[in-house]
Amino acid sequence: MTLLFITSGLFLGWSLGANDAANIFGSAVGSRMITFRKAAIIASIFVILGAVLQGSGTSDTLGKLGAVNAIGGSFTVALAAAITVYSMTKSSLPVSTTQAIVGAIIGWNIYTGNATDAKTLTQIVTTWISGPVLGGTFAILLYMLLKWYKKRAGIHMIRFESYIRNGLIIAGAFGAFSLGANNIANVMGVFVPAIDLPAIDLGFLTLGSGQQLFFLGGIAIALGIITYSKRVMETVGSGIFELSSEAALVVVLSQSLVLFLFSSVALANLLNGIGLPSLPLVPVSSSQVVIGSILGIGLYKGARNMNYRMLGGIALGWIATPIIAGLVSFFSLFFVENVFEIIVAIP
Amino acid sequence: MAIFKRTSGLLINKFDEFLDNVEVGLLVFREGIKSYLHGDMEALNRHLRKIEALEENADKLQREIENDMIVHSILPKERVEVFRLLDRTDEIIDTTKHSLTEFTVEVPDIPESLKADFIRLTEASASAGDELIPAIRTYFTTPYLVRDKLIKVYFFENETDRLSTEIKTRIFQQMPELDLARKAHLRYILHHIEGISDKAQAVADLLTAMAIKVIM
Repeated sequence: MTLLFITSGLFLGWSLGANDAANIFGSAVGSRMITFRKAAIIASIFVILGAVLQGSGTSDTLGKLGAVNAIGGSFTVALAAAITVYSMTKSSLPVSTTQAIVGAIIGWNIYTGNATDAKTLTQIVTTWISGPVLGGTFAILLYMLLKWYKKRAGIHMIRFESYIRNGLIIAGAFGAFSLGANNIANVMGVFVPAIDLPAIDLGFLTLGSGQQLFFLGGIAIALGIITYSKRVMETVGSGIFELSSEAALVVVLSQSLVLFLFSSVALANLLNGIGLPSLPLVPVSSSQVVIGSILGIGLYKGARNMNYRMLGGIALGWIATPIIAGLVSFFSLFFVENVFEIIVAIP
Repeated sequence: MAIFKRTSGLLINKFDEFLDNVEVGLLVFREGIKSYLHGDMEALNRHLRKIEALEENADKLQREIENDMIVHSILPKERVEVFRLLDRTDEIIDTTKHSLTEFTVEVPDIPESLKADFIRLTEASASAGDELIPAIRTYFTTPYLVRDKLIKVYFFENETDRLSTEIKTRIFQQMPELDLARKAHLRYILHHIEGISDKAQAVADLLTAMAIKVIM
């Protein structure tokens, strides 16, 4: 029965894999620098590793926003987010899984009368702005560094491209790991408070209930990558601004860094340990960070050839996604509770 | 599945070898023309055989490079232009081979008074090709320096045009002892020699555009 309830989360995971893997390997695959097969295998392995090994931090934050405590509620909230992501993707509208799940959780909070933690919400919403800004900043700095190195080193163009190609594979693996670590909360976070599975001892590693859920979510993301991301990957990269291979590497690197910074418990502990403020462990939209990074490079290059119309559409999606997901969640919860008589919240 | 392949080193070597072939071809061409003008037909035939071997090897390398670049998806955005660059550079060594062949087949009767001018023309035209090769190598390592390297190509191309016009003027206006058929034949041979600098200039124009695109 538990497995049946988490299908909505797995569906959301599949959607995330189908869409967001393109943010990591899209430019490389689209420009034929890496084959789709290679990209899909690397992304699948590392997304699962990231989810299982480092997915807990962002999940805790989502739990603070709204602890969905009944499995029927978790199912409905994840389903509402998945429907929002799927239908917006089908309509070719830019969508963020993070914003969809946040909107859906708030919908649950409103429906059940639970208060939304304003501090956590502010923390999350702030990253919707700071994530892309940080992505853009990293992108500009890394791009300047790469250009400087290329000019100074005088490496043969073919050898340099080989470095970029290998860099794309390594950065892509890091990006997939960070995506799994940061975004698994969107997929499985709402199930963590509601499901308690017995721990599995693998000898070298003990998988707790949350990690088992993250593992399943990771597999769902991997399936999304393998089955449906090819088309998205092959068309990405020329939408907002046509990327060169080195710009593609910079975008993947800056995105990976941002996702890593917002999901690494170890880094947060390290910074706190030496008395420095740490970044909140919050699920960030990889799509928005990618857009921020591409925009950063575009601005650095003098803002020529930018598709401002598309940027407007993205900004609109930024606002529309959580609202739509919240509404879908609210009405779905009403429907599930009153028609199917499934408990969606434990008072 | 090999994640990190090592094809780039091999491909760079092939590019270098291809350019070496063209460079050596230009040297052999010079020597071939000088041999003919000094009446040493045996040396001319030896130089022709050498240039044929170089041209054949250049063609083989060109095909291999194109094949490797497609199979391993190397420089996907620049590939079409790099192929064009290879093709046009290969035309230079083709022209040198054809010119030497013309000398062996048609055995043009070049007046003694013009021999020094023919050598000067050959030197200028081949020098345009000589100066092009380092510019092509520079495109792959430091493209922002390509324009500086190409200045000499344009200089030698102009020099070749000037010398050619000068020689043709002498043939047609100051040498009444030559009949029209011989004059026309000499002009035809001159065109062959100056063809090398024309091909070099065409590659230089392409290279300038390619370098600008890479720098931007």
